Amino acid sequence: MRYWRKLGLLAPLALAGCSTDNMRLFHPVGLMGGLEYHYTMWITGIMLLIIVPTVLMTIIFPLRYHHSRNAKYTPDWHFSAVIEILAWAIPLGMVVVLAYMSVSAIYRIDPWTTPALADAPGASLPPVKVEVIATDWQWVFVYPDENIATIDDLVVPAGRRVQLTMTATEAMNGFYIPQVAPMVDAMPAMISKDAFEIDQPAEFTGFSTDFSGAGFSWMYFKTRILAQADYDAWVKSVQASQNQLTYDVFTQKIAQPQVNYGAVPSYFSAPNAGSLFGKVVMDAMMGKTYPVPDSLTKSVSSTEGEAPASPAAK
Amino acid sequence: MQVAVDGPWSPLLGRLTLEAIPYTNPILLFTFAIAATAGIVVVGSVLYFRKVGYIWREWLCSVDHKRIGVMYMILGLVMLFRGFIDGVMMRTQQAIAIGPDSPGYLGAAHGYLPPYHFDQVYSAHGTLMLIFAATPLLTGLGNIIVPLQIGARDMAFPYLNAVSLWLTVAGALLCMISLFVGEFSNATWVGLMPFAELPSNPGVGVDYWMWALQISGLGTTFNAINIITTIVKMRAPGMGWFRVPVFTWVNMATAIIGVTAFPVLTAALAMLGLDRYVGTHFFSAGFGGNYMLYINLFWTWGHPEVYFLVLPAFGLISEIVSTFSAKSLFGYPTMIAASMGIAGVGWVVWAHHFFTMGMGPNLIGFFSAATMIVGIPTGVKAFNWVFTMFRGRITLATPMLWAITCILLLLVGGITGMMLSASVVDYTVHDSVFVVAHFHCMVLVIGGGVFAAVTYWWPKVFGFKLNETLGQWFFWTFVAGSVLVFVPMFMAGLDGETRRLDYLWDTSLRPLMLLEVVGIAVYFLSVFFFLAMIVVSLAKREPAEQDAWGTGRSLEWLTQTPVPFYNFAVTPQVHALDELSWRKANGLEKAQPSTYVPIHMPSSTGLPFIIGMLGFACTFALVWRIWWLAGASLLAIILLVIIRSFDKNEGYVLPAETIAAAERNLSTVSVIAEQSKVLPVGGHAEAH
Repeated sequence: MRYWRKLGLLAPLALAGCSTDNMRLFHPVGLMGGLEYHYTMWITGIMLLIIVPTVLMTIIFPLRYHHSRNAKYTPDWHFSAVIEILAWAIPLGMVVVLAYMSVSAIYRIDPWTTPALADAPGASLPPVKVEVIATDWQWVFVYPDENIATIDDLVVPAGRRVQLTMTATEAMNGFYIPQVAPMVDAMPAMISKDAFEIDQPAEFTGFSTDFSGAGFSWMYFKTRILAQADYDAWVKSVQASQNQLTYDVFTQKIAQPQVNYGAVPSYFSAPNAGSLFGKVVMDAMMGKTYPVPDSLTKSVSSTEGEAPASPAAK
Repeated sequence: MQVAVDGPWSPLLGRLTLEAIPYTNPILLFTFAIAATAGIVVVGSVLYFRKVGYIWREWLCSVDHKRIGVMYMILGLVMLFRGFIDGVMMRTQQAIAIGPDSPGYLGAAHGYLPPYHFDQVYSAHGTLMLIFAATPLLTGLGNIIVPLQIGARDMAFPYLNAVSLWLTVAGALLCMISLFVGEFSNATWVGLMPFAELPSNPGVGVDYWMWALQISGLGTTFNAINIITTIVKMRAPGMGWFRVPVFTWVNMATAIIGVTAFPVLTAALAMLGLDRYVGTHFFSAGFGGNYMLYINLFWTWGHPEVYFLVLPAFGLISEIVSTFSAKSLFGYPTMIAASMGIAGVGWVVWAHHFFTMGMGPNLIGFFSAATMIVGIPTGVKAFNWVFTMFRGRITLATPMLWAITCILLLLVGGITGMMLSASVVDYTVHDSVFVVAHFHCMVLVIGGGVFAAVTYWWPKVFGFKLNETLGQWFFWTFVAGSVLVFVPMFMAGLDGETRRLDYLWDTSLRPLMLLEVVGIAVYFLSVFFFLAMIVVSLAKREPAEQDAWGTGRSLEWLTQTPVPFYNFAVTPQVHALDELSWRKANGLEKAQPSTYVPIHMPSSTGLPFIIGMLGFACTFALVWRIWWLAGASLLAIILLVIIRSFDKNEGYVLPAETIAAAERNLSTVSVIAEQSKVLPVGGHAEAH
C-alpha cells in the first residue's frame, strides 16, 4: 500500500524523538523537578493506553475498509450501545484517574507550602531566603539575611531548602529554572513564592518565561548550587563589595528599564536588604511604574553593547 | 479628558505624523511593494475587464449567504497567508539568532529582526491566525453550508449577515494598515497586562490590536445571533432537532458560545480602552487596579473561543468521514451531546491558562480536573469517527485524507493538552514552546478541517471539483511541513525553550531550529501546491454532478450544482437525518417538483459595506486619536442605521415561471442571478 510507504517516512523522526539527551525536562534534579518528572511520565503513560489503540484504529480502518478491498460493509450500522457506553466510560475512567493524580500532585508540589520538600535532607536546617525582583529586564536577587544582592546570578548552598519570594517592578514575568524549580510568575504589586532544594553542587540556567518587553530574551540568569563552605565564602566576599545596593540605587538605576546583554552578573553589599523587597511591592501598589518609552523599545538590540541610556526616574 | 501620550498631537491628524510610516525598514518596504503590486493587479484587472459594476452589485452589495460566505473565506485565506509569512519570519529569526556569536543583519544585533519588530510579528501572527483567518474561514463555511443543510433560502437576517462580514473586514484592514502606518501590538495576541498599559506600551500598537479585536468581535457576535436564529426558525418542514445534520448542530453550539462569550471580550477591551484613553486603572498594577481581572476576563472569553473554533472543525470531520465511508455517522445523538458538552465545559476551564500565577492548590485542582473533563466528550468524538469508518466503504479522496489526519492531530493535541491540564506538568512547560506546539496541533485540526471542507464543498459552490492530484500534493506537503515544524517544537519545549524569544541563548537548540526551518520550507511548497490546485482547477472547470462525490448524505447535495442563488427550487420536505441517503434508498433523489411557487428573496444593498468601511475609519481614527474623524464616522453609522430602519423595501419575489425555467435550463441561472432587478412584493410569496 502506498499509504504505508508514506507513513514509513515518519519513522526516522519518531526515532529522533526517542533520544532525550537534549531535553532538560527528562533529566530532573532535586525533589521538585523529580516529582514533576514522575507525574509527567505517569500521566502520559496512562493516556497512551487509550491514545495508541485509537491512533492504530484511525490508521488501520481506512486501509482495512478501503473500497478496493471489498471488506464487510454495513452502511446503516450507526449505533451500538456497548460501544457507546465504552466510548464514554473509558475516557471517563481515565479522566477520574488522571484528575486524582493531578490534584494529589498539586497538593504535594504546591510551591507556597512545599510539602514535597518535607522529607528532604535540608528540612531540618533553616531555609535560605532569597527575594526575587524581576525588573525590566533583569533579575535582582536579594538575600535579606545575608545583606547582599546580585543581578542575574542566583547562588545558593547545596543541601538546604531555598525559599524564594518574588515580585516585579513593571511587567509580569515568569520565574523558571528547568529541571530544578517549578515555573511561577513574578508579578508587580503582588508576592509569589517558589522553592527548591538541590543536594549536590551544580549549575543551571534560569530565565523568564512570561513575555515582558523588548529585553525579554536576555532575561536569563545563572543558578549556582555551591557546597555550604564555598557558599559561606562567597557570601563573605560579596558582603565586602564596595558596590552598594540601596533603595535609591535600586529605584533610580537598577529598576530603570535596561537590557543586560549576555546577562552579565553584578554583586552588591546591601546593608538594608531586609526592607527593600517590601518597599518595592508597596511602591507598585501605590502606582509607581518604570515607564518604557517607545524610543527604548525600538532601539533594543539594534547595536548590542551600546545599551540605550536609562531615562530619568519619574 | 484625554490622557497625556508620548509625542506630538494635533487636532487634525491626532498622533499621526510622517514618522509613523516606517519607510526606512527594508522588510516593510518590500512587503509594501508586494502588497501594492497585488493591489494594482487586482484593481487594474477589475478596471480593465470593466467589472467594477459587477463587483459592486454582485459581491460588495450582496446579501446572499453563499457570496458572503465566499468573501469570508477569501478574507480568511488572505489572512492565513499573511499569518503564515509571520510564522516564516519567526522561524527564520530563531534559526539565526542563537547564541552570542550569531550574526545580525538589517540593524538587528542577532538575526534580522530586532525585538521591536519580532514582538509585533508574533503578536500579529496570533491575532491574525485566530481572529482573522480561522474565524472567518469557519464563519464562511457556516454561512455557506448551514442554510443549505437545513433547506433554507438564506440566513434569517441577510442584511445583518453582510454587516457582520464588513465589520470583520474592517478589523482585518486595521491589522493590515498597521504594517504601513505606525506599528502593531507587541503585547502578544492575548494582550499581557499590565504590559499593554500606557507606561510600558505608549505607542499605537496596542490600540490597533484592541480596536481590531473589538470591531471584528462585534461582527462575530452578530453572526452568532444570525446562525442561532437561522437554525431555530428556518429549518425545512420535517426537520426536527434530531434530523439536523452534525455540522449544523456544531454551528449551533458554536454560535451559543459566540453570543455568550464575545460580550466578555468586548467588556474587557472596553475597560482596557478606558485605561488607555481616559486614564482609569482597571488593569494597572497600582492605584487599586488588578491585571489578574483582565487575565480572567480574557480567558473567560478566550477558552470558549478555542472551542468556538474547534467545534466547527469537529462537525466538518463528522460530515466528511461519514460521506467518504459511505455510511451513517456512528453515534449521532452522542455526537451532539458531546458537542454541547464541550461547549458547556469550555466555560469552566479558563483558569488553566494561568496555573503559574499562584492561585493555590484548591483552585488549581478544580480547574485541572474540569479541564480534563473536556477530554471525555472529545474522546467520544474520536471513537465515533473511528467506528464510522469501521465496516464502511472508504474512498481516500483528499477531503477524507484531511479528515483522518485531523483525527490523528486531535489525538496528539489531546494527549499534550491533557498533560498541560495537569498543573504539575504545566509547572514545567507552561509558556514554553511545548504549549505552542500543543495548540498548533489543535489549530491544525481546524486548518485541516477547513481544507477538507473547502475541497469537499467546492463543487457545490462553484460547480466544478478541485484538482485531485494537486490536492493530494498539497495535503502531503502540508502534513510533512507540520511534522517537521511541530515535532522539533515539542522537543524544544521539553528542553525548556520559552515562547516569544527573539534571541536564543541556548545554543543546543540550533539543530531543532534548523529542522523547523526545513519544515517551513516544505510548508512553502504546500502553499505553492494549493495555489496550483486552485489555478489548474479554475482552468479546467470540469462540471461536477449534483451529488459531486456520489455518496453525499445531507440536503445540500439535493439541489443544483452550483447552487442557484435561491438555493432550492422548492423547499424540501425532510424525512430522515440523512435526507439524501433516504431519498436514494427510496429512489426519489431525481424526483422533480410538479409545481413551483414564487420565492421571496432579499434585495441587495450597499449599506453594510459602507457601514463596515465607516467602522474602519472610526477605529482607525480612535487608534490615532483623531477625534473629529472618529466622531464623524460614528455619527454617519448611526445615521445610516436610522435611514435603513425607514427603508420600506421588503425584497423581491421570484416568479414561479422563472424558477421553472431556471431549473429546466441551468444556463439561464446566471442571467437570473443578476439580482439588481428589484421586483415588487406581491402575490402569494412563499414564507421563509
